[in-house]
Amino acid sequence: MNTCTRFLTLAAAVVSLAAVPPALADTVLRVFAGGPQQRTDLTRKMFDEYEKSHPGVKINLESGGATSELQRQYLSTVLGAKDSSLDVLILDIINPAQYYAAGWIEPLNGYLGVKDAKAYMSKYLPAYATADVIDGKVVALPDFADAMFLYYRKDLLDKYGVRPPTTWNDLATVSEKIQQGEKNPNLQGLSFQGAPIEGAVCTFLLPYWSQGKDYQKGVKLDKKAAVNGLDMWLGMVDKGVAKKNIAEVKTGDTVNEFMAGHVVFAINWGFAWDLFQTDAKSKVKGNVGVAKLPAMQGGQPVTCIGGWQWSVSAFSKNKAEAAKLVQFMSSPDVSKYLSINGSLLPVYANVYSDPAVLKVNPWYGLALPVVESAKSRPVTERYAEVSDVVRTQTSAALARVQKPEATVDEIDNRLSRAMR
Amino acid sequence: MIARVRGVERFADPGERTLAALLLAPAAVLLALIVVYPIGKLVYNAFFDLRLSGGQHAPFVGFDNFASALQDGIFWNAVWVTVSITIISTIGALLVGLALALLANLPYRIQWPVRLALLLPWAMPLAFAGLIFAWFFNTDYGVVNDWLMRIGIAPRSWLLSPGTAYAAVCITLVWKSASFIALILLAGLQMIPRSLYEAAEVDGATRLQQFREVTLPLLVPSIVVALIFRTIAGLQTFDIPYTMTKGGPAHATQTLAMLIHDTTIDYGDIGYGSALAVLMFLLSMVVTALYLRRIQRD
Repeated sequence: MNTCTRFLTLAAAVVSLAAVPPALADTVLRVFAGGPQQRTDLTRKMFDEYEKSHPGVKINLESGGATSELQRQYLSTVLGAKDSSLDVLILDIINPAQYYAAGWIEPLNGYLGVKDAKAYMSKYLPAYATADVIDGKVVALPDFADAMFLYYRKDLLDKYGVRPPTTWNDLATVSEKIQQGEKNPNLQGLSFQGAPIEGAVCTFLLPYWSQGKDYQKGVKLDKKAAVNGLDMWLGMVDKGVAKKNIAEVKTGDTVNEFMAGHVVFAINWGFAWDLFQTDAKSKVKGNVGVAKLPAMQGGQPVTCIGGWQWSVSAFSKNKAEAAKLVQFMSSPDVSKYLSINGSLLPVYANVYSDPAVLKVNPWYGLALPVVESAKSRPVTERYAEVSDVVRTQTSAALARVQKPEATVDEIDNRLSRAMR
Repeated sequence: MIARVRGVERFADPGERTLAALLLAPAAVLLALIVVYPIGKLVYNAFFDLRLSGGQHAPFVGFDNFASALQDGIFWNAVWVTVSITIISTIGALLVGLALALLANLPYRIQWPVRLALLLPWAMPLAFAGLIFAWFFNTDYGVVNDWLMRIGIAPRSWLLSPGTAYAAVCITLVWKSASFIALILLAGLQMIPRSLYEAAEVDGATRLQQFREVTLPLLVPSIVVALIFRTIAGLQTFDIPYTMTKGGPAHATQTLAMLIHDTTIDYGDIGYGSALAVLMFLLSMVVTALYLRRIQRD
C-alpha cells in the first residue's frame, strides 16, 4: 500500500465513523449545568440514570462559569443570540424573572399539566413559588436550595465555654474573647463576603432585613436601616473581628480560610458544609458547627435565600423532552441524592427529616426553619443592574472608599428606575 | 452577431477600471459585511430603548440615550479614567520601552535572551497579565506586600483604595505595553547607520550628545508610530483593569470599554450601551485624526 492509498483509506475510515448516527431516533439534549459549585459531577450521575431509564435520550452536559455572574454573562450571550444549541439551563434563583421577561425561557405549564401554578409549586419550599412563578406561569423548577448560615468552630467555642451568638454584637464580643485568648494574630473572628460579587448583595441585605425592612420592586430602600447595616459590618472591622481587607474577600476565600483554621465564625452558603467536612485540605473536620445567622440588636434573625433552578430554553428544538428532564431533575429522589452526596440543601421540606439525609447532614434539623423563612433578593427583570450597583457600592463602603451614607444614597439613586 | 461578439470580447478583455472594480468587489463586500454593517447597526441601535430583558418591543427614543450618557457622572468618570490611563501608560511605556530598546541594541555577543525577554510580556494574553499582577498586589498573598514587609514597611491593600488601585493598573499596563514599544523602537534603532555615530565620535561628541543629536531625531518616526499604536490600544483598555479590579473600588478604575461591557453584557441594556459605544468611537476618531494630521504635516 503506498502512502496515497493509505491516506485515502484512513480518510474514508474517519468519514465513515463520523457519519454513523448515534442510533436513529435519539434525541440529544444539551444541558448547561453550571460550574463546580453546582456540582456538575453529581448532575452527570443523575443524567446517566435518566439515560438508562429513557432509552433514546442522550444528554450532553456543558459546564462552565465559576460564579453566578460569569454564568449569567455566558447565558446572556447565547440566549441573546436566540441560539438553539442549549435545551436545558441551570439558573441562579435571581435570574428566572429576567430571563422570562426577555423571552429566553419557556413557560412549563403546558408541558407539566399545570392549572394553578402556585398550587403546583406548593410541594417545594415557599421561596421557589416566588422565584419560579411569573405571571401565573411556572418558568423553572428548583434543583437544590441554598441559604447563608453561620459556621463556627465548635472546638474553640467549647474551649471558651461560649454558645453560638444570636446577635451581631454577641458575635463581636465572643470573637474578641477567643481571639485574645488564642493569641494568634492570623485568627479572624468573622469572615464574610465583601468583594464586589453576588454574595455582597446578601452582605448588604442581611443586617437590613434583620431590622424588619425589605427592598423589592415598589418597596423603597429604608436608608437609615441600610446605613445601620453597613455600620455594623464596618464595626466588625474596627474591632479587629473581621480583617481590614474584607472588601477583597470572596465566597471561596471564606471557605478556604475557614478550612485552614484561620477563622472562628464564617458566613457562607450551605454547600460549604460538605467541603469543611470532607475536603482533603480541611483542617477543621469534626469541629464545625452550624447556626442561624445572628440578628441586629432587637431585630429578627434572617438569611438570604439562594438555590438553582432548571429551565427549558425558549429556543430549544426539543422542548417536550427537555421539560421531562427538568421535571426529573427537580424530583424528591434527585433532591435526596444531592443532599446525601453533596450536602446540597433539599427543595422539599420532608427530605430534611429523611434519616439517610440527616445521617450525613446532622444540622438539617436546624436548616429547614432557616430556609423556610429565608428572604429573597429583589425579584425584578432588571436584577443584573440591581446586583451590580449593590455589590459594587457595598464593597466600596467596606473598602472605606466612601461613607455608608453616601453609599446608600448612591444605591437608592442608581436603582430608583429599576426598582420602581 | 457582431454586437454579441463585441460583448463577449468586452467580457473577456475588460478595461482596466472594470477589472479593478471586479477584483476589489469581494474585499469590498466582505468589509461591508464585517465592518460597515455592524457599525451601522450599532449606531442604529443607539436610538432605541433596546433591552435584552425587555421582551420584543423596543421604542425609538431619539437622542435620549446620548443625553442620559452625557448627564451621567459614571460616564464622565469612565471617560476621565480612560483618557488619563491612556496618557499615563503611554508615556510610561514609551520611557520604559525606549530604555529596553537601547538595552537590547547594545552589541551583546548573544542577543536572543534579551530579545526573548522583550517578546514575552508582549506575547502574553492581557487577561493573564491582569490576573498575575492582581496576585502580585493581593493584600494577604501578594509579593509586593511581602517585599514591603521585609524592608519593614506596613503592608497595604493595594487594590482597595482608589489611588493605589489606579497606580497598580497603570504599572501593569506599562509592563505589558513597554515591550511592544521597545520592539518598534529597536527596529528604528537598527535603521540608524553606524557611520553617523562614527562621524559624531570624530567630532568629539559624548555618548549623551550622540544620543540627543543622532539617536533621538532619527528615532522620531518610530516613536510616533509607537505612540499611535499605544494610544489607540490605550483608549480600548479593558482586560487588565477587568481582571485586576473589575473597575473598582467603586468606579476608580472603570474604563469606557468596561462601562460598555457592563451595560450591554451584564445589564442587557443594548440601546444605552450602543450609545456609549458610539461616543467612545467618536473619542477614538478624534484622537486618531489628531495623530493623522500630525503625520501628514511631517
